[in-house]
Amino acid sequence: MEIPYNVQVREDTGLYNSKLGIWLFLASEVMLFGGLFSAYILLRTGAPVWPPIGEHGSIMHILKETIPHATFNTVVLIASSVTMVMAWVSLKMKDLRKFRIYLGTTLLCALVFLIVKYFEYSHKIHEGFVPSHDTYMALYFTLTGLHGLHIIGGMIVLGYFFGPGIKMWDNEPERFTNRIEIVGLYWHFVDLVWIFLFPILYLLN
Amino acid sequence: MSVKDMTHHIANYRKIFVFLLIGTALTVAASYMEFNVQNSIAGAVFVGLTIAAIKGYLVAANFMHLNSEKKIIHWILLLTVFFLSLLLFIPLLWDLNLMSHY
Repeated sequence: MEIPYNVQVREDTGLYNSKLGIWLFLASEVMLFGGLFSAYILLRTGAPVWPPIGEHGSIMHILKETIPHATFNTVVLIASSVTMVMAWVSLKMKDLRKFRIYLGTTLLCALVFLIVKYFEYSHKIHEGFVPSHDTYMALYFTLTGLHGLHIIGGMIVLGYFFGPGIKMWDNEPERFTNRIEIVGLYWHFVDLVWIFLFPILYLLN
Repeated sequence: MSVKDMTHHIANYRKIFVFLLIGTALTVAASYMEFNVQNSIAGAVFVGLTIAAIKGYLVAANFMHLNSEKKIIHWILLLTVFFLSLLLFIPLLWDLNLMSHY
């Protein structure tokens, strides 16, 4: 049985179904991250010193060292958002070669982001700043870890469309373009979350 | 959308990219500044989060095409923002000790 409204728009919503679906999903994602941001506000406003001083002292000196890495990662993620939207534009202009280049660059940016994050985590853990060290570290690992999982999830979907999923372009180009728009919306949301995580976790302490 | 529309979109995306980079640089700069207010870190938090909100708006309005999206999406997001504000406001109430009589 064919799934209805995956290309044509519904008369009542003015949208094709998966677009409405992804926005509802993103709304639930806002609440998921919102709960953690709320915990951040509660713990920060309740702490006499922020970030709290634990067994290995304060994280501040390491945080200052990692600001250039986190800034670099912010630029990488913003760039990936641009290449993602350009991948969608390429499909709209029926240029599959450019689409591959832009989507490949988006995947590469995501990989670079995760590699930088790996080195950042390693450094902190090596210095004894693990999630149980203090409430700041617990929030840091929870928020950046959850965000990192979203990056990995996005990479799996993007990887599918870069590889086997691209076959759909031959038979149903419009449906494929819509799929890229949907995964693009998710990817921009992941970028948007990082835009808020970057100042609250790295800069404003 | 026509090719002309798309060319216009591409030029816009480039502009937004530059704005986002400038915003990032400003956020980093703001974190090093000393604000002439009672609590300097509170000033930095306010400036930092305001810039982040502007950057977030630029991403949502342009890359996610919210500025030309259907009304139903705007309503869904408005409802989400309402509940999100509630969620973020609860700890502030706690901090301001407004809930002490409960």
